[in-house]
Amino acid sequence: MKVANTKARAVVRRATMRLTNLLVAGFAALFIGGGPVVAAAGEINIYSHRQQFLLQPFLDAFTAETGIKTRVVYASKGLAQRLLAEGEASPADVILTVDIARLSEYADLDLLAPVESPVLASNVPPHLRATDNRWFALSTRARLVATSVDRVAEDAIADIEDLADPEWAGRICTRKGSHVYNRSLMASVIAANGADAAEAWADGMVANFARKPQGNDRAQAKAIFEGQCDVAIMNHYYYGKMLHSDKPEQRDWAESIRLVFTNQDDRGTHVNISGGGMARHSPNPEAARRFLEFLTTPVAQQLYGEVNFEYPVNPSVLPGGVLASWGDFRRDELAIENLATLAPDAQMIIDRVGW
Amino acid sequence: MVATFLSYWSGRPARRFDGWSVAAILICLLILGPILALWLTAFGDSRGLWGHLVSTVLPRYVVNTLLLMLGVGVLTVVFGVSTAWVITRYSFPAKRIFEWLLLLPAAIPAYIIAYTYTDFLEYAGPVQSLLRDMFGWQRPADYWFPEIRSLGGAVLVMASVLYPYIYMVTRIAFRLTPASLFEIALVHDKSQFWSVGLPLARPAITAGLALVLMEVVSDFGTVEYFAVETITLGIFNVWLGMNNIVAAAQISLFGFVFILSLLGLELYARSRQRFAGNGKSAVELQPLVLGLKGQMACQAVCALPLLLGFVIPVGVLLKFVLAAPITDQLGQVIDTVGATMLMAGAAALLIVAVSTLLVLAATYRGGIVVRRLTMAASSGYAIPGTMLAIGVLIFAGVVDRTWGGLVGDPRATLLLGGGGILLTAYLVRFQAVGYGALMSGIRRLPDNMMNASRCLGHGFGPSLKLVILPLLRGSMLAGGLLCFVDIMKELPITLLLRPFDFETLATYTYQFAKDEMLETAALPALMIVVAGLVPVILMNNMLRRAG
Repeated sequence: MKVANTKARAVVRRATMRLTNLLVAGFAALFIGGGPVVAAAGEINIYSHRQQFLLQPFLDAFTAETGIKTRVVYASKGLAQRLLAEGEASPADVILTVDIARLSEYADLDLLAPVESPVLASNVPPHLRATDNRWFALSTRARLVATSVDRVAEDAIADIEDLADPEWAGRICTRKGSHVYNRSLMASVIAANGADAAEAWADGMVANFARKPQGNDRAQAKAIFEGQCDVAIMNHYYYGKMLHSDKPEQRDWAESIRLVFTNQDDRGTHVNISGGGMARHSPNPEAARRFLEFLTTPVAQQLYGEVNFEYPVNPSVLPGGVLASWGDFRRDELAIENLATLAPDAQMIIDRVGW
Repeated sequence: MVATFLSYWSGRPARRFDGWSVAAILICLLILGPILALWLTAFGDSRGLWGHLVSTVLPRYVVNTLLLMLGVGVLTVVFGVSTAWVITRYSFPAKRIFEWLLLLPAAIPAYIIAYTYTDFLEYAGPVQSLLRDMFGWQRPADYWFPEIRSLGGAVLVMASVLYPYIYMVTRIAFRLTPASLFEIALVHDKSQFWSVGLPLARPAITAGLALVLMEVVSDFGTVEYFAVETITLGIFNVWLGMNNIVAAAQISLFGFVFILSLLGLELYARSRQRFAGNGKSAVELQPLVLGLKGQMACQAVCALPLLLGFVIPVGVLLKFVLAAPITDQLGQVIDTVGATMLMAGAAALLIVAVSTLLVLAATYRGGIVVRRLTMAASSGYAIPGTMLAIGVLIFAGVVDRTWGGLVGDPRATLLLGGGGILLTAYLVRFQAVGYGALMSGIRRLPDNMMNASRCLGHGFGPSLKLVILPLLRGSMLAGGLLCFVDIMKELPITLLLRPFDFETLATYTYQFAKDEMLETAALPALMIVVAGLVPVILMNNMLRRAG
């Protein structure tokens, strides 16, 4: 009995030891994984601020066309700091962001390389790329006013400036002012009307809020549907997403609102971009350039509409499907860089008026 | 000789530098490196932003943060201490089940519970729909309903998943309180809870509360979703909105110093209190048997936090999972489970090993320097995850550039780009959890254990191996499991520092949850809970034996 017991113990001890060894080995493997991670020639590494599931269709199409494989790290914040810390050792080839402020942060930190490409130059209009070709817009998104179909007359709001009108007291909903979409809208108002007028406008609008700013853009449509407010600010593609959602309640929210393309008689509706550039220390610059070029080709430009209801930047590509049915509109053609330059001022105004 | 003997006898370590101290100091410096990097960043030029912040948003951020800490602190102590007391002191039906069920909310990330509660309590959710049906209300204007996206809502959801930190440690403390002390309270007709249980459990409660408050201060997901303007939210506005990482680092360190001062205050207040058991629990503590009403009260005390922290959120997730076909998602989720377990397992192992070494060095070897350093090395928990990740990045950049220079290849890396940096960051962040578990374990050992072994002729190493380490096994396992659960649900650090194409359940869930696609996020979120079950059950078995 005693012998059996000792034997059993020995077996257990050996098993434990083996398990420990295995874990230690796995652990060591993780560390060794920290060695050079430069991609093979047929591979590019992407740092993306766009969620992976929205990016995947583009990556699949790119690999199918070129045979070049892709690897991705997605994060919403801090990738610029990661790239900065990595310096020359960085494995990243391409950076993708979903707004101009992030993109120009990379440019300011000198993390992007200029890309001289006739394809990019002809596919992306000048006001939608950096003057030194360090970044390029890849799609545009309009920031609009949404109004209640039932409770607001069709022509009641024409300009974004109208939101400060006391007529809308207690009737406006938005997400938080410090969100990048609102900050960039604020920057566009500063660019158009000057800082003082912009602050007065923001102050007036905040006074009209029906509730404390909260939720994302979709949540504002829901609030209109539920009757908490009558007017909201949102990015146009949320409307498309809700209208074509699997969830019946989201279709109800979309049907309760009407989109207003603002400022059609003057500067046009504020648009932001999603965009990208090549990392300054890209180990694979040739493939990186091909990827950026691919994203501006008609196939990929159409995909932006299909995947996420975004507008193409390539002038030769017409918006398809649902986007076409909404008709064309005048866009604010402010050089997109200005939105980034004015962002800190915009945030200060947002802090002061408590948006 | 006499001096050495005296220092052992009084439990004071001998002051000398040996291999242990040197190793401990080096490891502490490695852990403190990233925090130091953040300090150095904070000494940059903030371009006069403080004036603007102080006159506009900062007072609001500070007040909101304090209110959130107060609310979550009070609620977690109430939930954690009441359940721990009822479970240890009374006997009632289903007690054994409640005992481990109460730990389950620890496996749910706070931001997930925030999403599920919004779904549950919003206008279109089941609660309000039911109320409308019952009372015939038509529109939101017809009735008042508390807004979940508020400070109160944030207190509720955070407290519902954070109370297990307090429940866990307080339960051990209650169980280890000598039965004779409760008898003294009975004899003197004093409350067993207020006069004996609570005062003796205070160090344990504080330890748990410290972890809770650090979680609260560093949380981003929940406060962002509920639009509660805390200091952490302010950090991100300053950093991303005003492109001012210097001011962002300054605000995070402001919060960091604040938390550490709170802890220091408590340590000071406690410094002259010492409780010593004689190590022999003469009589085992017998749970009190209650009447029917009392038993139901006990069950209610246990059921409430469980309902809030587990039943409702998991119910909402289950509803989504069952409503949609999951087959096309399943393969990816299972792969992700594997990657998550491997990463969390490796990191937990590393943290326990490091904590054990530091705790042994601080207790038996190094002097005041080592002890202070090991304490400082567990302060990473009080810094918001993303900011800590940036500190780690800066630190790793310096290390790797040095390395690249040494080997003469600027593209050579030790940490960056692979799993190494992620493990380093987990170590910096969760060292507090492992250290806390090990430290409370070693404090429970009578001082004379080591001395007895030495007197019997064993050296320091053999004494550790034969006497101390076996006695610490429980604490090591507890710390490891706690770290494992924490790492599995960790989001901001993993998101930013992970290698290419690497997903944990938390990051995989997040990309969908961010877009409010709760139906797609539900399955991976549920898997976090399921994967957390095993460690939680193991942990409970250990807690039971700890008594």
